[in-house]
Amino acid sequence: MTNLTFAQIDQTVLNTLERPRPRYWLFVALMLCGVLLGAAAWTYQIFTGIGVGGQNIPVAWGTYLINFVFWVGIAHSGTLISAILHLFRAGWRNPIARAAETMTVFAVCCAGLFPFIHLGRVWQVYYMLPIPTQRLLWPNFLSPLMFDVVAISTYLTVSSLFWYTGLVPDLAVVRDRSTGLRYKIFRVLSLGWTGTHHQWLNYSRGYLFFAALATPLVISVHSVVSWDFALALVPGWHTTIFAPYFVAGAIHSGLAMVLTLMIPLRRIFRYEAIITLNVLENVAKTMVLTGLIVGLAYGTEYFIAWYSHNAVEWESFRWRALGEYAYGLYFMIICNVLLPSLFLFKKVRRSIPWLFALSLVVNFGMWWERFVIIVGGVAHDFAPHAWGFYAPRLVEYCVMVGSFSLFFFLFLLFCKHLPSVSMTEMKETAHHAG
Amino acid sequence: MNRRTFLKLASLSSVSFAAGCSPESPKHLYSLVQAPDNMVTGKATWYASTCRECPAGCGVIARNRESRAVKLEGNPLHPLNRGKLCMRGQAALQAVYHPDRLRSPLLREKDGFTPIGFEQARALLKEKAWAAARKGPDRVRLLTETVGESQTALFQTALRNWNSRPPLVYEPYAYEALKTANREVFGVDGLVSYRMDRADVLLSFGAEFLETWLSPVEYAWKFKAMHAAAGTHKGLFFLVGPLQTLTGANADYWLGCAPGSEAVVALGLVRRMLDLHRGRHLAPALRQALLQATDGHSQETVLKLSGIPLDGYERLVGRLAEAKLPLVLGCGSGLSDENGLRTNLAANLLNLVLDPELKLIDTARRHRVETAGRRVEVLELFKTIAAGGADLLLLNNVNPVFSLPPENGAASALDRPDLFVVSLTSFLDETAQRADLILPVKLPLETWDDYCGWSDVVSMIQPAMGALSQAPHLGDLFLEAGFEGEPPAPDFKAYLARRLQTQGRIRDELEWLRALQQGGVFPPTGPTIAGAAPLSLAQQLPAALATPYSPPSAAGLAFAAVPSVRLFDGRGANKPWLCEIPDPISRVAWQSPVRMHPDTAGARGLQSADIVTVRSHGGSLEAPVFVTEVVRPGLLVMETGQGHGAYGRYAEKVGANPFALLSAATHPGCGGPSSLLAEVTLESTGRRLKLANTDGSRTQHGRAFILTTTPAELLKGGPPAKTGLTMDNFPLTLPLPEGYDPKRDFYPPHDHDHYRWGMAVDLDRCIGCGACAAACYAENNIGIVGETRITQGREMAWLEIVRYHDERRMQRVMFMPMLCQHCDNAPCESVCPVYAPHHSAEGLNNQIYNRCIGTRFCSQNCPYKVRRFNWFDWEWPEPLNLQLNPDVTVRSKGVMEKCSFCIQRIKEARTRAKNENRPIREGEVLPACVQTCPTDALVFGNLMDKDSRVRRLCDDPRAYQAMGYLNTKPAVIYLKKVLHEV
Repeated sequence: MTNLTFAQIDQTVLNTLERPRPRYWLFVALMLCGVLLGAAAWTYQIFTGIGVGGQNIPVAWGTYLINFVFWVGIAHSGTLISAILHLFRAGWRNPIARAAETMTVFAVCCAGLFPFIHLGRVWQVYYMLPIPTQRLLWPNFLSPLMFDVVAISTYLTVSSLFWYTGLVPDLAVVRDRSTGLRYKIFRVLSLGWTGTHHQWLNYSRGYLFFAALATPLVISVHSVVSWDFALALVPGWHTTIFAPYFVAGAIHSGLAMVLTLMIPLRRIFRYEAIITLNVLENVAKTMVLTGLIVGLAYGTEYFIAWYSHNAVEWESFRWRALGEYAYGLYFMIICNVLLPSLFLFKKVRRSIPWLFALSLVVNFGMWWERFVIIVGGVAHDFAPHAWGFYAPRLVEYCVMVGSFSLFFFLFLLFCKHLPSVSMTEMKETAHHAG
Repeated sequence: MNRRTFLKLASLSSVSFAAGCSPESPKHLYSLVQAPDNMVTGKATWYASTCRECPAGCGVIARNRESRAVKLEGNPLHPLNRGKLCMRGQAALQAVYHPDRLRSPLLREKDGFTPIGFEQARALLKEKAWAAARKGPDRVRLLTETVGESQTALFQTALRNWNSRPPLVYEPYAYEALKTANREVFGVDGLVSYRMDRADVLLSFGAEFLETWLSPVEYAWKFKAMHAAAGTHKGLFFLVGPLQTLTGANADYWLGCAPGSEAVVALGLVRRMLDLHRGRHLAPALRQALLQATDGHSQETVLKLSGIPLDGYERLVGRLAEAKLPLVLGCGSGLSDENGLRTNLAANLLNLVLDPELKLIDTARRHRVETAGRRVEVLELFKTIAAGGADLLLLNNVNPVFSLPPENGAASALDRPDLFVVSLTSFLDETAQRADLILPVKLPLETWDDYCGWSDVVSMIQPAMGALSQAPHLGDLFLEAGFEGEPPAPDFKAYLARRLQTQGRIRDELEWLRALQQGGVFPPTGPTIAGAAPLSLAQQLPAALATPYSPPSAAGLAFAAVPSVRLFDGRGANKPWLCEIPDPISRVAWQSPVRMHPDTAGARGLQSADIVTVRSHGGSLEAPVFVTEVVRPGLLVMETGQGHGAYGRYAEKVGANPFALLSAATHPGCGGPSSLLAEVTLESTGRRLKLANTDGSRTQHGRAFILTTTPAELLKGGPPAKTGLTMDNFPLTLPLPEGYDPKRDFYPPHDHDHYRWGMAVDLDRCIGCGACAAACYAENNIGIVGETRITQGREMAWLEIVRYHDERRMQRVMFMPMLCQHCDNAPCESVCPVYAPHHSAEGLNNQIYNRCIGTRFCSQNCPYKVRRFNWFDWEWPEPLNLQLNPDVTVRSKGVMEKCSFCIQRIKEARTRAKNENRPIREGEVLPACVQTCPTDALVFGNLMDKDSRVRRLCDDPRAYQAMGYLNTKPAVIYLKKVLHEV
């Protein structure tokens, strides 16, 4: 896969950690402004009331939960790539595993913020914690939202630890090549890694166990998120297909985000020798698969709505295709199923502009998929007298900008301060290849 | 000073300083320094009084907590409304606590109004009155709303002292045509009442008796007494008219006729009935004259002129001819035009033809609004004033500048510089704005008076609360100003008591006290007295009948301004509850759309929410379009009440005023105005307005919300028991252990101890009037969100009247009160992460506000969409907050809320029962909606008690649960609406 020597690998990666140019700080500052904008919007919302957004009755959930599901989805492929593909010994995942894992951790952070932003009384959120107090009240573990709390926090914990475990040998490499403050910081971060045989033995065993532990989480987290909807009565939500459908969709969107991040990274950091075109092509191939699964899920939903003879369900799906939000459905079919099928052509798979463009398209389409489900379901549910519409308002847009800014802010900081490619695993690959 | 003293002093002063700096200002729960002896904090006192929101005069009881009236309910002892109130009655409280209520008199000076003291204002009034009186006869004029007999007597005395003629009563809807028709046919120059409850067939030519006509609450219960399904029997109600208002929406058959052609139909029916040998008892001369007069009204002519379909007309003729006790009502006050008098005459004659004894017409029991002056008299008054014929004009709570067409010149007459206008009103409305002195007087809930909605009833008005301002009683004002020497009584209360005694209405103090306690002096026999026979029946044809029918011009559009069930003639427009509760037909709140048929709109390329300009000879206005099938093509309809230029923050700049379009002319035969215009033009402005409507789809897409049945089906014994799992074939599953079925249920049933509260809603009795919704707003401190937020879907109503059109016949409108169903398998309960929706031991689905963190999942999962979210902290501008029910939490932003079955009332009953060591009695708990429903459509009680009314209604063959197939096991049991045809 790669013909680089160990030293070349180290050098390529360590080169990325050199003092950044002013333009880098400009981008960081820009993202920080976005974060502050989002924070200001949220603060305003807390003081004024959640009504500053566009939610209403019947559509009581809006972009906050759409973004929540979107970011949880993005968070998926990191663990998929680092854990499942690690267990499958798919060597091509090694160059992108670190960045994908990082993406996972940051995306979960972004996702985790949204349930808080979404709450009417966020200052009382501790009611959801199972702490025995004089309130003598216990959270309702029948509620899918409690499943969420457990699933998301588990996922965040495991994926952060997994990410950090993988980082330790690399941190030691950075420590060994640095001086001054950076040396001091990395000495602490690398946890006294010396690279002894004993350490390597424990490390690789630990990493394997982590991978095995994280694998079910890939399936569970988005399944649990899907149950926020599937366990409700709402037509368009209450289906058994939701767990696999959401997991497939999550991986689909996560892979798209990997491409979106890797292609610029590869170019800026001159990673062409490490993140080869073959790696990107493999991601694209996987996306063909996930895209087809997602397409199958779309079709199955329609089939079951028709096959069930349930008038409410059928009307809901008829309206989804012909009603006021029909454009959302067409966005998601075109962007998530039809356009990624272009990856069936080798020329498209191996063309950087196509890969990049299609990755953006899938991200867009997956956002709209969540819109169609979350807004469309309740906007047109059981009670025709209560049917209504929803459109996001300024505060929600600001928070959305804030969440994207936060993600890119963190990712920008990561690329220039931590090794964005796992040197350890690259060397392992090189060793096996050699 | 030594060191020790210094330290002592320093520590003492710092402690005392710190103690004085409490971070919170002191809170006083109750403002009464010295409570009255019999006042128990937290315990309500009830005062009986009379509602004065319209001339009907229903009895009310006001719930007083800590000297503030917090809720109005109908007086159960009052024979007129029998404990019920309409939504306007419920909202009367909001006038008392209105933030824009005037606190002091205002005197007009060069640069606008200046507040002055009450003493000064009263002195000024007295001085002006006597100065005018000395100038000559009739220099003081008084235009008043409808008032009681005692007040009228005092007015008359004072005016006589001022050398002037008696007061003139102004009502925008004064029933001139009906009064004239009654005089011509029954020999009664007034407004008779109808024993509608005994009729078997009711035919109306448009009278809006469920909304504003004469006495809406009274006719609502009377209507349902004849029209509700009782077993397999159900009375019949035909409506002949160009549109359906709320009353029309309750008709079994709507025969849509061309605007103004009701008279032709009525005369045609007279002819048919005569031909079918009804009316043999008539005087031969009259009979002959009738035959002659109706000569040109063959069936073909009638159908051609009116546009009524043949089969509908045939059915009407058939049913009317067979009817044992038919009652015919004339045209509506909002549809009266130059043919209106003829319609009313023909309707009265039809009654005469159909029933020789006029058993359903009570000429002895008359409606008080008959004292209202005819429109010609009112216009004559303004003409006199404009010509300088008076020096002082007193206006008692009337707003002619708003409710008269501008061409009548009321505004310019008031602006005359040599005329001193005193407006006795608490609100700065359009008329008061033109007054020279605005002298606020106490509102009916704070004052002493009497009123007689029925002529044989004395209904007492007494203060139900402490005074909020220094405003004087209206009566006291006239006792002070109207007498140069000693007034006949020290105050109006004494005047009232003395007058009732001299009139023989009461004998002694005991009876006075009893009258105050019960709310009045009521006929001993209860609701009905033996009505006197008609004074003199018509022996010959009324002359007005002979005037030929003038068909409205076919070319233009017709326009009708109908009185609104919410805002009446505009006096309700300043009350936020009435603005917030949507119109029953259009489901639009805060706005006044112009309704039209899809054909009318389609021909002009208009859609709902397009803003149009409606132009008549009298004026023009802009309003959004609302397209509906319940209006005849070619007719535009607007409800009156909005479009105020003044009248407080809730009324100003809201909607448009259709009075402005109406014709200034009056009818020569009856002296009444015309609220139906023959010709208006319509232009699109190209702009659109987001309608503040609270409905989604107008039809229910085949879903099991409103279910209907027919008498024939009921006769067959109802459908077989259902056993399936689909929407149309799911059994009634009571929210009780017996409703548990292991095949369907995953979780075991709830155990309830002694009580499982439930409600039965008879859709056949519901008339869609919205009184329940208003009562709910009043009882439960529900926030008012305003027009913009309703367009965003943020209305807070816990109970709404859902309106659906029948998919098979869009002309059929059906209503359904939709509130929290208190499900046994509540979808909201399982999804909340913090148990904020909580299933109580008595089966209630409680929402614990303190626990709620605002995930809103409960609302998402509620198939009935009855949950409401506090998107913001809602505002009650002072002193509206004084109306808040102290027994109900005011919810803050970020929490979910919904109907609680008025749990505060359940708790009160439980405490009472516990103190008396007994179970809660049947009927002891009445939620606010159940209490006020004029037609008794709502029944509340304990489902565990097999003998309770609500439980027995569960066994009715009409019983079903809305969307019951979801297995939510609602505790709200609906009874199917019974339609005469499908």
